[in-house]
Amino acid sequence: MKAALTTVSVLATALASSAAFAHYGMIIPSDPMLSQEDGRSISLDVSFSHPFELAGMELVTPVAFSVTHEGETTDLLDALTPATLMEAPGFTLDYDLNRPGTYIFAMEPQPYWEPAEDSFIVHYTKTYVSAYGSDEGWDAMLGLRTEIEPLTRPFGIWEGNVFQGRVLLEGEAVPFAEVEVEYFNEDLSAQAPSELMITQTIVADADGVFSYSTPNSGWWGFAALNTAPETIAFDGEDKAVELGAVIWVHFEDWTGQ
Amino acid sequence: MRSALAALALALAGLTATAAFGHMLNVFAFVEDGEVVVESRFSNGNAPQVGEVRVLDGANVPVLVLPLAEDGTARFSLDPDVAATGLLIEVSTGGGHDNYWILTPDDIARGTEN
Repeated sequence: MKAALTTVSVLATALASSAAFAHYGMIIPSDPMLSQEDGRSISLDVSFSHPFELAGMELVTPVAFSVTHEGETTDLLDALTPATLMEAPGFTLDYDLNRPGTYIFAMEPQPYWEPAEDSFIVHYTKTYVSAYGSDEGWDAMLGLRTEIEPLTRPFGIWEGNVFQGRVLLEGEAVPFAEVEVEYFNEDLSAQAPSELMITQTIVADADGVFSYSTPNSGWWGFAALNTAPETIAFDGEDKAVELGAVIWVHFEDWTGQ
Repeated sequence: MRSALAALALALAGLTATAAFGHMLNVFAFVEDGEVVVESRFSNGNAPQVGEVRVLDGANVPVLVLPLAEDGTARFSLDPDVAATGLLIEVSTGGGHDNYWILTPDDIARGTEN
């Protein structure tokens, strides 16, 4: 009996290391709102991880990595520098913000094979950065295959504010889309009393609109998940493809008493 | 150089108290083809129709005053000697809508290289 329980315990431990945490493409800039006093450039960490647990996974060279500003998109794929992030391969990038306004950094990763889910994962990931006090272009969309349209400005918002977005897939709103929300637990100070609380799960309304209020400041990732109509062959079998629309939003400390 | 930047910082300390209200005025400046180009725009995207640009050198000494054009911009020739320690560019459009941009020596060098 004891041996059986031990076996169950070992299995459970193995499962817990991968089962309860959501996957997130991540683009985290050094500053979500660069002021002129802060300098003229930012650095970005680009990774694929379980952000609450700081568990990194390998991010191979993406299919695409770009920045969009004032309607112009620039390919930055060749500017990515390999780096180790959360103990896994990822990339960093230094980028000059030459003009005011909103810069949208976006990544299309290569499909990631996740054996635990018996499917591939493709998370289209984006992060909005404001330069020099201007929020012009904060609601710009990129036309990604799947994308969260920000209905709340995705920077310069207080902790506790509601973030609202609309889930789009192939340009159409996704009724009742499932959206996972997770905190980038950078210093591991947040402790989840239950694994259920590592990833928050909400469902959009009939128009694909969802809302979430964060309990604290920092980076929060929103991932709207859908299944692609196509499959990818793996070991002679057709496997499902999870399409994720990910947006990272920074909430600021409330400074009042 | 350090004292010049300190003077700029002191000037800014006074400015920041009034800079960021309501329809915030955003100010930006850069160097292009030997000229300093000043751009100003309200946070709703509209350009101010009238306004005044004051330019101070790194020692906080006023060197130039000129009006904004109707598109919220202004241009003036870059004097490398005057701008050696940077320029503080203030834009006022009235009604408490003021803001500034610090054109640092590095900004000027970048604009001159291009």
